[in-house]
Amino acid sequence: MSMIERFLYWTAIVVLIIALVGIKGNISKLEQQVSQASAQVEE
Amino acid sequence: MNPKIERAIYIGIILVLAVLVLSFGKKQIELQESLPLTVDQLYKKLQNPKINLQIIDVRPYEPTEEEEDEAEDYDFYTLAHIPGAIPMPDCDESKTPKEALDHINYYLPTVIISKHGDPKIFQKCAKKFKIVQNVKGGMEAWLDAGYPTEEDEYTPPAAGGGGGCL
Repeated sequence: MSMIERFLYWTAIVVLIIALVGIKGNISKLEQQVSQASAQVEE
Repeated sequence: MNPKIERAIYIGIILVLAVLVLSFGKKQIELQESLPLTVDQLYKKLQNPKINLQIIDVRPYEPTEEEEDEAEDYDFYTLAHIPGAIPMPDCDESKTPKEALDHINYYLPTVIISKHGDPKIFQKCAKKFKIVQNVKGGMEAWLDAGYPTEEDEYTPPAAGGGGGCL
């Protein structure tokens, strides 16, 4: 396997990990907003 | 290491990560849809012809003669409503005008308009519609923002069901 091919695989892996971390951050923010909204409903 | 095995390992890692990104992305979209829309977001969505959105107005349909003098525009559907909104008072089919009942589609993406974005009536509607979002501040916020409205009784669209065209 050439160095270029290896580099491309690693680039794809790093991009996917960054996307995953970003989406996970968004999800936790949204979960907080949803729990705040449902708390307002209970009030 | 054998190049074939190394390649298979890389592809395996990428596939696992891609599946995780897709499933988290789906969860993110579901969460976004469960949060209330602001009137600005709703206005932008309605301006986009690619978005097929049904607006269900759950406020009382029309005031009685006694109520008419004191009623605010956001209190009743016939006094002011978002263009294309379908009346469904209290999210109850028995209170819905007959001509509107035929145009309600329970499977279309739907936004619920109440007087002030009341979460309780939204919860009631959420059980009936498949994809549904509340509007924060309701009709009062829409009127305060100065977005377009229509008056008078519900007029069914010429063709198709639902949709709020501005």
